[in-house]
Amino acid sequence: MAANWAERISAFSRRPSGFLSGTTAEAFLAELLRELRDDRATYSVKILLLSPLCEHSTLLCCSDSVGEETALELMSVFVQCPPKSVQFRCHLLLALTSVLICTSCVKSHSRASLDFLDVLLQIAQDTSDIHTDGRQRPLRATACECLRELEACCPGLLSQRLELLGGLRQQETSRLHQAYAELYTLVLRNAIYQLTQETGAGAEHLKALLGGNTSAAWEADQESDLTSSKDSAILSSLILGPMGTVPTLHTGPDCKELRSVLSTLLDESYLLTPLCQATLLHRLTEVVAMVPGVPPAIFRTHLLRLLGTSEVSLLHATLLLKCAFTDSLFSSEDEAFILKRLVVLSQHPLLSTPEKLFYMDCILHFPENRPISCSDGDETLPVLLTPQLASALVPTVFNDSTTLLARFNMLSLVYLEEGEEGQGGQGLAYLYEHLSSLLSMVENGCSRELVVTFFRAAFLFLYYFCHVERYSNDLTKQLCQLYFHHTKLAPHLINLADQTQDRLSESSWSVGLLKALQRVITEAPLTQLTSHDLSRHLKMLVRVADEGEIIQQSTLTFLSSIITPSSSSLCTGGDWRLGNDILRVCRRLLVHPSLDSLLTPLADVLHLICHYADMEIQDHARLYYTLLTTLSREKLAGVLAQGMEEGGRQVKKQSLSCLMGEGLTSTLTIQQTERAVFRLIEAPPEPRAGDINSNEVETGPGEASALVEAYRDQFSDSSFASEITLQYQLVHINSHDCHFDQLFSIRLHFSLTDHHYEELGDISVPCLLRERPSTIVQLTLKPRKPYPTSLHASAIFTSPDGRTWHTTLPDIHVAFQQTFLPLPVPSSWGRGGTLSVFEGLWDEICSESGDSATSLFCCQLKEAALNTLVEKHFLPFLISDLSHKEEFKVLFFLPPRSHILLKVSSEEDAVHFNIATDNWELLSHINSYLLKVTSLQEDTLS
Amino acid sequence: MTVRGLWIISHENGGNLSIRFSRRFSTVEHRAKSLAGSSYVAVPEESTFLQLLLTELGLSDSGKNYVTLRDDCLYRPRSPALELHVDGPGKGILWPVLTVSQGPLILACLPLVDVPPDPRPPLASLLSVSQGLTLLAGLQTFLLGSGSKPDSEGLGSRLAMLPSVLLQVCPLGTPLDVPLPGTPATPTAPTSAGTQKQPAWKTGLHRGRAVVNIGLIETVRSMQYGNRSRQDLWDVYGTVTCKCEVEGVLPNVTVTLSLPPNGSPLQDILVHPCVTSLDSSILTASSVDNYDGSAFSGPYKFPFSPPLEPFRLCSYTSEVPVPPILGSYQLKEEENQLRVSVTLKLHESIKNSFEFCNAHLPFFNRDQMGVVDMKLSSGQLDVSKEKNLLVWILGQKFPKSREVTMEGKISFSGPTPGPSDPLCTKLTAYVKLHFKVPDMTLSGCYVDQHSVQVYSSAKPRIVTSRELQSKEYYIWNSTGTAPVSSGQMMM
Repeated sequence: MAANWAERISAFSRRPSGFLSGTTAEAFLAELLRELRDDRATYSVKILLLSPLCEHSTLLCCSDSVGEETALELMSVFVQCPPKSVQFRCHLLLALTSVLICTSCVKSHSRASLDFLDVLLQIAQDTSDIHTDGRQRPLRATACECLRELEACCPGLLSQRLELLGGLRQQETSRLHQAYAELYTLVLRNAIYQLTQETGAGAEHLKALLGGNTSAAWEADQESDLTSSKDSAILSSLILGPMGTVPTLHTGPDCKELRSVLSTLLDESYLLTPLCQATLLHRLTEVVAMVPGVPPAIFRTHLLRLLGTSEVSLLHATLLLKCAFTDSLFSSEDEAFILKRLVVLSQHPLLSTPEKLFYMDCILHFPENRPISCSDGDETLPVLLTPQLASALVPTVFNDSTTLLARFNMLSLVYLEEGEEGQGGQGLAYLYEHLSSLLSMVENGCSRELVVTFFRAAFLFLYYFCHVERYSNDLTKQLCQLYFHHTKLAPHLINLADQTQDRLSESSWSVGLLKALQRVITEAPLTQLTSHDLSRHLKMLVRVADEGEIIQQSTLTFLSSIITPSSSSLCTGGDWRLGNDILRVCRRLLVHPSLDSLLTPLADVLHLICHYADMEIQDHARLYYTLLTTLSREKLAGVLAQGMEEGGRQVKKQSLSCLMGEGLTSTLTIQQTERAVFRLIEAPPEPRAGDINSNEVETGPGEASALVEAYRDQFSDSSFASEITLQYQLVHINSHDCHFDQLFSIRLHFSLTDHHYEELGDISVPCLLRERPSTIVQLTLKPRKPYPTSLHASAIFTSPDGRTWHTTLPDIHVAFQQTFLPLPVPSSWGRGGTLSVFEGLWDEICSESGDSATSLFCCQLKEAALNTLVEKHFLPFLISDLSHKEEFKVLFFLPPRSHILLKVSSEEDAVHFNIATDNWELLSHINSYLLKVTSLQEDTLS
Repeated sequence: MTVRGLWIISHENGGNLSIRFSRRFSTVEHRAKSLAGSSYVAVPEESTFLQLLLTELGLSDSGKNYVTLRDDCLYRPRSPALELHVDGPGKGILWPVLTVSQGPLILACLPLVDVPPDPRPPLASLLSVSQGLTLLAGLQTFLLGSGSKPDSEGLGSRLAMLPSVLLQVCPLGTPLDVPLPGTPATPTAPTSAGTQKQPAWKTGLHRGRAVVNIGLIETVRSMQYGNRSRQDLWDVYGTVTCKCEVEGVLPNVTVTLSLPPNGSPLQDILVHPCVTSLDSSILTASSVDNYDGSAFSGPYKFPFSPPLEPFRLCSYTSEVPVPPILGSYQLKEEENQLRVSVTLKLHESIKNSFEFCNAHLPFFNRDQMGVVDMKLSSGQLDVSKEKNLLVWILGQKFPKSREVTMEGKISFSGPTPGPSDPLCTKLTAYVKLHFKVPDMTLSGCYVDQHSVQVYSSAKPRIVTSRELQSKEYYIWNSTGTAPVSSGQMMM
């Protein structure tokens, strides 16, 4: 079982949605809790069982009440767990914290969360282990961490315990003082934040807060839950740079108490791990920023130690300190020093690449004492970063890709600022030389990663220096040469042309590159051309044809020469793909603005393609030819203008497909809808006909056991009663996209999310019209195991304009009760026969063990309510007579061969559902089903 | 100051990359939701996360030449913070996903953005980013162990230890510490109940004889072109590693680094967080400054209280006037063979006593080597098994003249082509030097045994050592085009 749990837990955490489609969250949670209470399970398994609760609390506890109950259960497990299982108890505390926070129990001060808070505070105060071996210490550390997380998620929760926590922090001499210090500073920070939100709060209140004097005036306001009222502002960092504002508490210069608390914390910060020191420093920065009465100089004695550190988080916390206090703590010499330090660290041989890149990011967002602009978020160079200083960060071919690009970007910014004269010019020359050496590496056939890096560097260079023509023109030349030798770079070059065109709308560099590439392709001798090259050339020419400014004559000459057998043999094979590539270029030319001048050569080329050795290509070419020669120029121009007005490469494609109509493009391309267009909803149940033959013939094939035997015999045919049929309505989703009001030739495809069912076949629906009544779709499911499930559904359909679409439907959820069927017996057996089968099965299940199980479900229901329940939910499955109200006998048959039998009777105290099943794994499902239907009944009647 | 989730990815038995360990912190996710408001993007399930991450890292679809999502040339600052483009119902951009990778491992975490999410804040405003990087680096060291070669078995067992490790260092998403490499963190001997607080980074107390071990290693890198138009480059950096076994909760130790008279000052000094205080003069010299000659040049005092395990007390860089070995490399293409000439000259200030000294001459983008006909003035020559590399073993000493030469011809007539390299084509080629000189430093920096002060009851044994080693020490062929390595000297 233990191994099984490990597998199941890992399956759950890998894909919670998939896992829960095979069961329910409640059932899984119940299982986890049952196993946690089980004494036979080992603690290592139990720790494993807690991980779903820690990681996916909200998924398992879908409501606050479930969270509350779960927490109570976990608490009782905690209380009963012997103290020596420290690890398990620690994990229990984490699980409890997760559940209570995520279900908002802490926010609403629920019973369980208050109890839990007491438990945590008790553990935190229990220092009795100090003279023993310290084995309980991890528990105390975890409790402090849980308290810290509770305070972090519900700020102000522990404000009134500040003095207690301060005392604990002071007393502790073991390594645990760190946990108390972290907890204390967070509570202090939040408490002071709360004070800043109180009107009229001042020095007195601050003093009272630190002294634990809770009789202060603001205490009354504690009840008005600050956490929810002030949205998430209190959760945010208060150090936001030049634009940020910090709420302040006006205390006057007299805050001796706070100052002494802060000094102690700072002095002892050395004893914390670097990570915790950084957090503490950041919290204290926030506190001092909120209380102007405390001068930032309080940090001064620690600055040198922090500025010399090799720890990234400590230096980062110091930068944030600078961000908060600028020149009130850091002189301009300090500033110059820090910037130099960052440059050094950005290229330090002993640091890791991510750290170095982080420091470069810090340079680009350097917290200057006197920033010139307040551009939040944008990369700006600090004034002090001279080209001389930045030259330490020039990119080299020995850098890894990300470092190379980050440096390229930074240096480009530096040289852009310097201009093209002097140092800027030299720098620019270096960058271009660097780009060229990358290019020659690409030329020499480097790794894919380096190819991508080169194109990114090229984009950066153009982005900043496209206007420097001597470089950008030369780059065009070099790229053309590169393409000539490496045609497989076509997609990269097209991408570069696209992106530079999009980002640099004023520049014509992109068009220039495409023109040059067109020349390279069309002027090269055909003799050396391979079919691979040709296919890439054609892709490139498609992109070239997108540009209205580029004259297309040479493209047509090229097409004509490759299609003519006498000049090239490449097309004689009649390759379908190649034919299509050629046609794609022709299609673009058909919508080219200079079509007038292309008319004759284009018609000639199309005519040549009409003799291509592939039938389909011939057909398409003929269609294009006809369009070109028969459509009036105005009409064609009209359609073209429509496409051009909207501009851009994408739209042109669309207008073309409109032009071509359904015959061509719709069969070639399937488009994806942006959102779901229609969905399947469960159809209202039809009255199930012929429940049980009502003629009271008491004769069946004989005795009960023989009847069961005969009943069983039916299953020798494996297809017998193996399917369930579900009715669904196919309906539009209520968004008004008139485009999809009428849909045709819909083909629905289903895929399973688990292994409990056999694969489903596709279903065709002729049409779906918004104004007509919805269509009924029958889903036939063949269970391997009759569990609830979800199905992914997608569809392909045609819209009235002839385009073909692919769309995804919302998942279909098959509930447990949808897998129920009435007992499959011949109708001739009558009620007597079925009753006998029922009794026979019941006796068998009760007498044997194996997979069989019996169970009892009780609930409070009035008699009338019970009757309604039976009529509403159980009627098709009722074996006994409806009028026979002392005991209802109900049988659910679940394909392929499971049975759930119910005997429902009203006893004095409650309604008893006696359950018998030959498949114990169904118990949890039937339980949640009964819970649902009976509680529905209670609700409607109360 | 918190992370939302943590993922550890590696090759599964040499096959595909898969997520070997993951942890989500639901309470942090709860905070993320309320902090981000409408721009909240949930963390996708494992398989989706992995796919998106690999695409961003350029590792997906390795069989395809070009994939737009992966290879788009539009520049976005990628590392150390990636953005994952989540599709489907929870559509949006998941940012900032931090990654570190080494060998077979990729580690990723998602720090909480605790400032307003729109417009996107700079990384530098999120303390959780540097903390996340520290956590990842710590986990990486823990998982890969000290050995350079990660063994899959050791990795597996250390992965299995992660839940209990995380319970200590990051139980609820807030990183508190980094795991101690190698050993699982177990509670150590109880500490005295004195008034002195025990540092949280000190796992226990030392009992027994006091020993202080201080090792100083300098590393020299160089790029030599043998070309007047291009200046040769070299740099030196040093690290001081300590292992201190000293009694007491917070014992005081001071280590002093000294330079010889006229030694150039130590620059870019970085210190371990256990250093208690620093003099401002120690930090002033910087390698990116113009050296004005008046800078402080020691002695450099580092007072600290040591942790139990070995640690790097400090590091520095130094500017030295000459490289330890000056080389020249010349290749000439002659018909089907290559004429080779190498000269190496040991500078007179360098102690002529090596632990080892080897020169590697790789040949790329050619056939395998056939006949190798070389004359050496000293040492011996090995041809690698793959027949694409010459190793010139110079041994422990240069000859009296301090100069060695190698001359001769190589023909490339092997039956199969050798390895290729995009950089080293035609006559672009290099000699790479590997050497180690014990008991010396290039900067002259040393730790005087008598200057080490330990304030504790027992007199400690103090051991100091120093050595010089090479790394990335290249001598480029002066007849070919060498790649520009750094623009440092350009201005």
